Amino acid sequence: MSRPGLHQLPKGYRFAPVSYTLDDDWVESYLAATEDTTTPALEPSAVPPLAVLALAVRALLEQARLPEGSLHLSQEMACQRLPRRGETVVAEAAIVSRGERQGWVLLGIELSVRGSRGEVVVSGRATLGLPAREEGP
Amino acid sequence: MREGSPQALVELVRHLDQGKIDRYAQVSGDHNPLHVDPAFAARSQFGGTVAHGMLLLAYVSEALARAWGRRWLEGGRLRARFRAPARPGDALTVRVLPRGDASCQVEVLDGRGQVLVSAEAEAPSSPPQKGGDTPG
Repeated sequence: MSRPGLHQLPKGYRFAPVSYTLDDDWVESYLAATEDTTTPALEPSAVPPLAVLALAVRALLEQARLPEGSLHLSQEMACQRLPRRGETVVAEAAIVSRGERQGWVLLGIELSVRGSRGEVVVSGRATLGLPAREEGP
Repeated sequence: MREGSPQALVELVRHLDQGKIDRYAQVSGDHNPLHVDPAFAARSQFGGTVAHGMLLLAYVSEALARAWGRRWLEGGRLRARFRAPARPGDALTVRVLPRGDASCQVEVLDGRGQVLVSAEAEAPSSPPQKGGDTPG
């Protein structure tokens, strides 16, 4: 079954929790792509908090498509503890606001990533602008 | 540094190109054509590809890690607004401006001094350490 577009989801929609591992190879790729030499110098086992969020978004987008031309308007983030390589975490997310204006859907998504004991590792809120209608093929 | 602006705690410079945007798309799984498809992006309001907001925030996060060390990784908070797009060819400067002991204003500027991202950041307890310029 095809995934719904994010712009089609209602306020209050909760994504199914997704479990993923902060895999060493992926973390190395992320550090290379973002040119981050500071985090591993501070703590070799640390994972940048933005990487944890990025991987959570990647996992959640397996449940809903990001429409072409979508814009990231704002982002909040709170680190609760140091994320570490190799740990398995669970991402949860919900749509907490939704509005439409001039052909765009404005979506607020709250996201939290929890560790194995259920403690929050990183949390955040993104505001996205999504085209209300997608371009045809 | 702009005239009259306060002394930056940390400045981090990154030179953006399409290859870096493509690499971020690969690692993040965000293949939105605004970022990776020049033909699609040329028809958008931006007239060309733009960087992922999360890539810019990765630069911001590294600058804050330089300013605050583990305190940022263990308990930092960030509120950021994307004000203008970052494009291939831009020389980006992330500037961390102190605002009290545990609070900073952060800006991502392009080569013309235009603010692309503005943010407020906080870290728990003890004052930040002084950091230096670090070209990317």
